[in-house]
Parts: sequence; structure tokens; C-alpha cells
Amino acid sequence: MRRRVFAASLAGLGCGRSRQSRLNVFNWSAYVAPETVPNFEREFGVKVRYSIYESNEEMLARVFSGNSGWDVVFPTHYMVPPMREQGLLVALDPAQLPNRKHLDPAFVRPGLTEYAVPYMWNATGIVFNKKLQPTPESWADLWRPALRGKITMLDDPAEVLAAALRKLGLSLNSRNPDELRAAQREALRQKPLLRAYLNSEVRDQVVAGDVMAAQLWSTTAQQAIDAAPHLGFVYPREGFPVNLDCAVILRESPRQELAHAWINYLLRPDVSARVADSMRTATANLAARPLLGAGTRDNGTLYPSAEVMARAEWFETMTPEVQRLRDRLWTEIKSA
Amino acid sequence: MMRLRAFFLLPAWAFTLLLFLAPMGIIVVYSLQTKGVYGGVGEPWTVENYVRLFDPLYGVILLRSFAMAGAATFGCLVLAFPLALYISRSGTRKTLLLNLVMLPFWTSFLVRTYAWMFLLRDTGLINSMLLGMGLISEPLPLLYNDGAVVVGLIYGYLPFAVLPLYSNLERLDKGLLEAAADLGAKPWEAMLHVVLPLTAPGMRAACVLVFIPSLGAYLTPDLLGGGKSMMIGNLVQNQFTSARDWPFGAALSLALMAVVMLLLWALLRRDCEEML
Amino acid sequence: MKRLLPLYVIAIYAFLHVPLLILCGFSFNSSKFTVWEGFSLVWYEAMWNDGVLAEATWNSLVIAVVSTVVATAVGTLGAYGLWKKNSRLLSGSMYLSLVTPEIITGIAMLATFQWAFRYLHLQLGMTTVIFAHVTFSMAYVLLVVMARLRTADPALEEAALDLGATEWQAFRLVTLPMLKPGIAAAALLAFTVSFDDYVITALVAGVDSETLPMVLYAMARRGANPVVSAISTVIFVGLGLLIVVSERLQKT
Repeated sequence: MRRRVFAASLAGLGCGRSRQSRLNVFNWSAYVAPETVPNFEREFGVKVRYSIYESNEEMLARVFSGNSGWDVVFPTHYMVPPMREQGLLVALDPAQLPNRKHLDPAFVRPGLTEYAVPYMWNATGIVFNKKLQPTPESWADLWRPALRGKITMLDDPAEVLAAALRKLGLSLNSRNPDELRAAQREALRQKPLLRAYLNSEVRDQVVAGDVMAAQLWSTTAQQAIDAAPHLGFVYPREGFPVNLDCAVILRESPRQELAHAWINYLLRPDVSARVADSMRTATANLAARPLLGAGTRDNGTLYPSAEVMARAEWFETMTPEVQRLRDRLWTEIKSA
Repeated sequence: MMRLRAFFLLPAWAFTLLLFLAPMGIIVVYSLQTKGVYGGVGEPWTVENYVRLFDPLYGVILLRSFAMAGAATFGCLVLAFPLALYISRSGTRKTLLLNLVMLPFWTSFLVRTYAWMFLLRDTGLINSMLLGMGLISEPLPLLYNDGAVVVGLIYGYLPFAVLPLYSNLERLDKGLLEAAADLGAKPWEAMLHVVLPLTAPGMRAACVLVFIPSLGAYLTPDLLGGGKSMMIGNLVQNQFTSARDWPFGAALSLALMAVVMLLLWALLRRDCEEML
Repeated sequence: MKRLLPLYVIAIYAFLHVPLLILCGFSFNSSKFTVWEGFSLVWYEAMWNDGVLAEATWNSLVIAVVSTVVATAVGTLGAYGLWKKNSRLLSGSMYLSLVTPEIITGIAMLATFQWAFRYLHLQLGMTTVIFAHVTFSMAYVLLVVMARLRTADPALEEAALDLGATEWQAFRLVTLPMLKPGIAAAALLAFTVSFDDYVITALVAGVDSETLPMVLYAMARRGANPVVSAISTVIFVGLGLLIVVSERLQKT
């Protein structure tokens, strides 16, 4: 009996590949509108398996083996060079992506275009309860002793160090060990005041009032503000990081044409606008902007003015030695 | 005789070899290699990862993990002992009572941790009740600290403490207690000098079943600790995810397993023959 | 002292069950927050309509059933073989796998699968998850069945052999029936451990093998979600019923 089960599972292994055409997409949560996937399925006559993740690390851990089964994933821009170096990605075919012309040129970054297509972007700032007086305007406001136990920071080494570095007036991509240690000291000074290091799960706590100010991504913050108008969001005066989530096609995918079609579909202005409107995200698609609802288009949190964006700094990929130093600094912060 | 025995053991051997021993072997290999530029492993071969383990930073993390796991184990033992005693004397209702202890365990671990988050939050039930009763004016910060993690660990592993204690207490010769009473011992004296020493094997087993998983726990400190304290489990998980330093993660894992094996040997060597 | 004990026991059971009962209670709350706003089944509706959830639950069940069957069979046979003549290496490995933290066994298995896939061109999927589950469930089965075997009398099998039975018959007709309760307990344990596993499954799962714990974790990570409470209630009640039923069956 055991032998039969064993044989059946072996058969199941082989079976998987000869089934009906099915595109496997792995994306961030809340990054497509309810009708995006069904419309694609209908138009192209295929099935789409759509799964979500909450962090780049989660996605990378699954994709790293080169046999994960996913076709299209959405890494943040600074993850693309490492994935490319590891041979995980396939160069995109421009001929199959005519809709790329709709992209905002500001988001077409060097080193990305060959392998990645910009999708949605967000930046990190501070979401706060308007009862807080004076309202926060800079990273330094998250170091206020009066807010003890009511502040959270993101559970992300790059983001926490970025806030500390900018607070000190340094580049958030700093590779200088002294600068990084100074930033770490700031973070350690802040830790006793913190309630916790939390990512998206802090959204409900900000809405409920448990947390008065939190370092949070603009899109997640906007979702909180939608639920509770007594919240506000600010892009810190000292400068802030920008993240661009891009679509890439995995080298292991046996459905590269379909994968291209999916990305091209997402680049359509109307599709992109629908996603941005319903999920409250910021699209990198320029042609989609006029199609956005007024509530989204004029939203200062999701689409800050050029003057605000001038303070933005893009995350860069770190070299291994610097990455190791940063990881160690983060471990020290966490275990303090 | 040999062929039959081989038949019985072959499947178990196959799984153990292919899916436990071989993977452990790969981990050993990884621990001796170097992290690739952007992740992954490769040449050159090195013992650098083991040298790194002696960094005091990791010693601190290990000690903290020991402290929290120790607190959870102590809590479990203290809470479980009276319960196990009661159940062992319950006659016909034993199975029902045991099942009631195990029932929360049979619900998802994630769910149980989530239930505690629900209770301990500032706007959670405990604080709402205390505020409503006027006992406090501001919510107590019950969540996102070491205490919450220990409570979560105790809650998660309490059934594992009850079972071996119960098993041990059930097999105790009731005649011994009678003899103690006959010799003039008061009930609590009998408890202290007769029962407790005899339950030592059960307590050791309970320690093993609670302390070791608590040491390697990572979901509980992650969800209930607010990411503010790093236990060994989080550190290992960190190496394999955001740090992408598999070789160091592998060395760390092997070090942790060495600690675990040492503890097992220390706690169980007297019961070794019985166990193996 | 004697009178305090029952009170204490009630308190402990409350400690164990109240958090879950509260969670279950609030799954019927019409509002998302911890303020009771009225009885409602809206979250159960949402749960019912969630396709991802349905698929994940189905996957979890399939994986749990298959791995339980295989693990119980392999584990029981293994326990019997070890009872006859011990192999320090095998039993030692099994106990070691029980106490190794899940993150380590998970990563180790992932590394093995990745290495094997380079030569075998397979993919992470239901099969890899099932193999992983069998491996760790097997250790639990072994533990339980061996504990049971230790209380067994070898003389019974010897008597059967003296009376002319083959070894296989001695096993099948003498020892196996005696082990039935132990095997049932082991199977229940294996099922629970498999159904509930998050860490190892998350690491070795593929595209088509998202399980219920993985979905629950993702939902919990994104914040307070009454649908999680609804799912938990269903699991809690379902397992509770399973226990009651198996109790009744054992009595007959």
C-alpha cells in the first residue's frame, strides 16, 4: 500500500508540468484590483495562480532555488541586481512589451530596464495621529521622549538605518562604517522609546490609537488614513527612501511569452489606474495618471509634489562587506 | 529474521537518511563555505563562520534565549505539576481531562499566539476590562515585551509539560504515600520528600519537551515580542532570509544543535537506556 | 490544600481555553474591533467565499492525510523493528530530529531539495511538502509506538512463534492488534503536527502548495483580522468534535 502511494506521488510530480497553461504570479499583497486577474484570464484564455508575499526576503527565499515554479515576481528595485547576478532573471523582450512607453521616465532607472519593468512605487515616511501636537515633520520627531511607548519603526534594517542616517544628515546608502555606527547609536538611543518594530501590522494599531506615530510606507499609511481620517502622513524634512516594485520574469519560467503578455497587460494605463485607485497605490505609469480618480491623483501621500520628491533618495544595492556590517549593526540593535 | 527486520526498518531508514541525515550533512558542508556575493554559497572553504560564533554578541543572544526558555520551562513545570497530580488521581475522567489539556494544542499554534495578541493589545480585552473597571487609567503595555513572549511560550508548551508529569505520577505506587503517612509524615511532607523526588524523571522529560523547543522558538518572539528582542531562533531565521548568509546561518544552526544535544545528554543520560 | 487543588485546576483550564474561547466569541462580532457591536456571521461568510482560503485548507487536508498515512505506517514498522533489535543510529537520529528547531530542519530540507533539483529537474510542490511532513511526523509516531511497545510482553510473540506462526504472522496477529490504540494516538498526533505546521512548510512549499497555516500567518501579519478568528473557531470546534467522536469510538 505504501508502494502505491509512493508511485502515485511520483506520477504527480511529472503530471504537474503537462497541465493546462497556467501563469504563476507572485506579488505583494494588495497590488491588484479585484478584477485585474479575472479580466486577464478572460482576455487571454488562461488561468492565473496569484499568490502574495509581505517581504522581499520571503519572495527571494522561495525563488532562490531556481525551481520554485513562479513565472513573474515583483522585487523591489534594489533586489533586481542581486537576482540578476544569481542568474534568476531573464532579459525582457522589448518587442513583447510595447506598453512600456507609458511609463514615467522618472522611474526608468539605469541598470533596471533590461530585466525589470517598474510597477508601483512607494516611499517611507511618518504616519501620525493628528492629536499629536506639534505634528511630526522630521525623523527627529520619532525620537521624542514624550512619545515613549507610542512609536514604532519598521522591522527592516535598511529602513531603520535610513531614518537614522537621514536624521544625522547622511546619505541613507552610506557605506562608511563610522557613519553607519553613528546611525546605529541613534537607533539604540531610540529603542527604549519604541513600542515595537512592526511592518504593515501596525496599521490597525495606528487606527486604534495604540500607536501615535509610526515609520510606515506611504501606501500602507494611506490605507490607514482611509480607515481613520484623524491620521496624517508626512514625508520627513531630512529626506526619505523611495522603493520601486518592479515586475521581472524568472529564468526558470516555461511560459515566457505569457509572462510578457501579463506584464504588458499590467502596463495598460486603464489597468494600472484601476489598481492604483482601488488599492490606493502609487503607479509608475505616467499615462495612467490622468485616468486616476481625483481622490487618488491629488493625494499628497501617494503622489507627493516635485518639491517633496526632491528630498527623496533611492535605495541602492549594497556590496557584500557593507551588507555584512549593516546586518551586524542590526543584530546588535535587535539584541540590545 | 534479518530480511524481515530489514523490511521493517527500510522505509524509516530511507526517510531518515534522505530527509534528515543528508540535509544535516549539507548544512555541515554549507557551514564550511563562504557566502556568495548576493546570497547562496560557494568556495572557498573556511572555518571563519565558526570563528564568528565566538563573538560576544551571539553569546548575549544565546544567554537571553536561555533565560527566556528557562523562565518558560519553570513556569510550565510549576503550573503543570498540580494539574498533572489532579488528573492522575481522577480515575475515570482521566482521558477526558487529558484531552481537554491537549485540545488547545490541537488548534493551530499560530491561532493560539494570535489569541494572545488579541488579549494583550492596548485595545485588547484585558486592558479594556481593566480600564472599564476603573483599575487603571491608561492601558498597560502588556504586549511586545519579553514577558509577553514568556507567557506565549508557556501557553504553547504547557501541554508538553503536563503529559510526562502525568505519565510519571500515574505510575507512582500509592502504597508509598500510605507508608509515609503511617510513619507520621504530614501530607505536604510526603509530597516534598516522597512524591517530588520520584517524579524527577517526569520533570526532566518535561524540561526537555519545553526548554528545547522554546530555545529554538521564532514565531512567538516574532509575533509577541514586537521584534525588539532577538532570540537564537530569530537570529538563525535572519541569516537565512534578510542577511542571506547561509554559511553563517548553518554554523549557527549546528552550534545550536550541539547545545541541544548537550542538554539532552545532561538531562536524560540516566533515562537513556529507557528512552533508546 | 486538598480543597485548593480543584480550584487551581479550574483556573488552569481557564488559562488554557479562555483565550481561544474569546477569539471564537469575537469571530461573531459584527465589528472588526474589540468592542462588541452585535452578533453577525459576516466573517464566516467572508471566510466561506475566500477562494484562496478554500484551496489552502484543501491542500492542508490532503497533505495531512497522506503524510499521516505514510508516517504512521513507516513509523510503526520502524518502531517494531527497533523494538526487536535496537539501532542506536536510527533511534538517535529520530530523537534528534524531534528536538532540532524547525527552522533548521526546514532550511536543511530546502537545501537538499535545491541540490537534488539541480540534477533531477523537479519543482517544489505538494510532493516536497509531503516528504518533509512524513519525515518529521514519523519521529512522533515512533516515539508514541515505542512507548507503547515498551509495555508489551515479548513472551506473547515468542509463544506464537513456538506454536508455528511465521514472524510476519506473529507481528500481524499478535503484536499489531495490541498496538492499535497506540497507533491511533500516533496517527492523531501525526495529523495534528502536519496540519498545524508552518515553518517547515513555508520553506519547502511550491506554487501549488499553499497551506492553511501559511495563509493564516500572512493574514495575521497584515493586522487584526476577524476572518482569522472565524477560521480558528471552525478548527477549534472541528477538532473538538473529532476528539469527542474518537473518544466514543474507543469506548465501543
